[in-house]
Amino acid sequence: MSRLRCAFLRLPRLLLALIGAALAAGGAAPRGGEAMATIPAGVYRPVSRATTDPETVAVAAFRLDALPVTNAEFLAFVVAHPRWRRSRVSPLFADETYLRHWAGDTELGPLAPPDAPVVNVSWFAARAYARAEGRRLPLLAEWELAAAAGYATPRGRDEPDFNRDLYAWLARPTPDVLPAVSSARPNIHGARGLHGLVWEWVDDFDTAMVTGESRADAARDQNLFCGGAAAAASDPGDYAAFMRQALRSSLKARQGTASLGFRCAADLSPP
Amino acid sequence: MKTRLLVVHLVAAALLLPAAPLLRAADACCHAPLAPAAPLPAASLYQAEADFTTDAGAGFRLAELRGRPVVLAMFFASCTYACPTTIGDILRIREKLPAGLRDEARVVMVTFDVERDTPAALRDFRESRALPEDWVLLHGSADSVRELAALLGVKFKREADGQFAHSNLVTILSREGEIVHQRAGLSGGLAEAAAALESAIGVEAGKP
Repeated sequence: MSRLRCAFLRLPRLLLALIGAALAAGGAAPRGGEAMATIPAGVYRPVSRATTDPETVAVAAFRLDALPVTNAEFLAFVVAHPRWRRSRVSPLFADETYLRHWAGDTELGPLAPPDAPVVNVSWFAARAYARAEGRRLPLLAEWELAAAAGYATPRGRDEPDFNRDLYAWLARPTPDVLPAVSSARPNIHGARGLHGLVWEWVDDFDTAMVTGESRADAARDQNLFCGGAAAAASDPGDYAAFMRQALRSSLKARQGTASLGFRCAADLSPP
Repeated sequence: MKTRLLVVHLVAAALLLPAAPLLRAADACCHAPLAPAAPLPAASLYQAEADFTTDAGAGFRLAELRGRPVVLAMFFASCTYACPTTIGDILRIREKLPAGLRDEARVVMVTFDVERDTPAALRDFRESRALPEDWVLLHGSADSVRELAALLGVKFKREADGQFAHSNLVTILSREGEIVHQRAGLSGGLAEAAAALESAIGVEAGKP
């Protein structure tokens, strides 16, 4: 914030006042000068797809929050939108996991540092936050494209230190108190913490057509999903992507977990 | 006893009459009809803010369904396998109801195919399938469709050939929009769905 103020010091007072008013209105306040990263257009290759699906999905360039949404930011949202407070939220949109690590309705407490990623949020709540910010959740293909980037190249799988960090994180249990979002190292596009902090919601998480646990799916009930029986794994190499796929297919939109957060996305040029 | 009831009715009528023109005026000015006074139950789908359009081109919110039980299914018009079966099953569920109750529930079909199943395409679909006039066919934004699918627990995915892989779920909603039964899959479960619908019809509006 102080850096922002310095940059505008020489501008006329009126402009300053206008900017202040816009920030106070609770709109898209800049987040430490790195609000959103631009993810260049690219190709997402699903780890698991139906035989009728294309091998690759073209993804247009888009903007993605550089950081996951923090407890402090989500607190500001529930203060401004009381229907999303823990005590008032409809059970339709969030189950008993909702913000359960917070000390109270509008109180973070010791398990939820302000600068740590918010977790225990349902998909509905994450979407409502994004909508209130004039943004949206990233699509699965967009998120995966952004997360495939390494520290120095668009393809992290070829970077030894990227892989080392990724798999070290996957092997580590989720701590009771999550680290600050700024602790994560940025990838080549400037997005931080796509790996290493928390899992993240995507808007179309429910496209993973898996009925339940993997053993049950070996004999998938063809009647439950029209076309779902054709889904089959394509690339067994990307273990982390399989873990994400498994996680997404196990989630329900009302549910949160202690290691699941989110960040917002936007089209590159708003329509 | 009878006279006392009559008095109550007269008083009620006297109280309501002056309000009636106001209610009508409000209806005329705004798109959505006045919401009934009672708050929705905590689990009512009618709290969703998703926007839809009927095949007649009119704006539609799920809350407009409040008051009658609903049989709800998601589909897409070019579906050749599961969706025609689902439509047939909904007709069979209806036929299992006692004759006097068959028109008590509304059938609502919401398309996954937000690009191709425009309101006009849904109207064609209604005609080509000779669907009953009181069935509600809805088109929505991708956002609204995804929200409804999540509320129902329906998973869907657009495939490369333009078809959709999707859960096959027929959902019975109470008069207040709560999910009271879901029939999954394409075989069996019709009697259970009909029983759930019949009991939803049996619950009067506004009662838990």
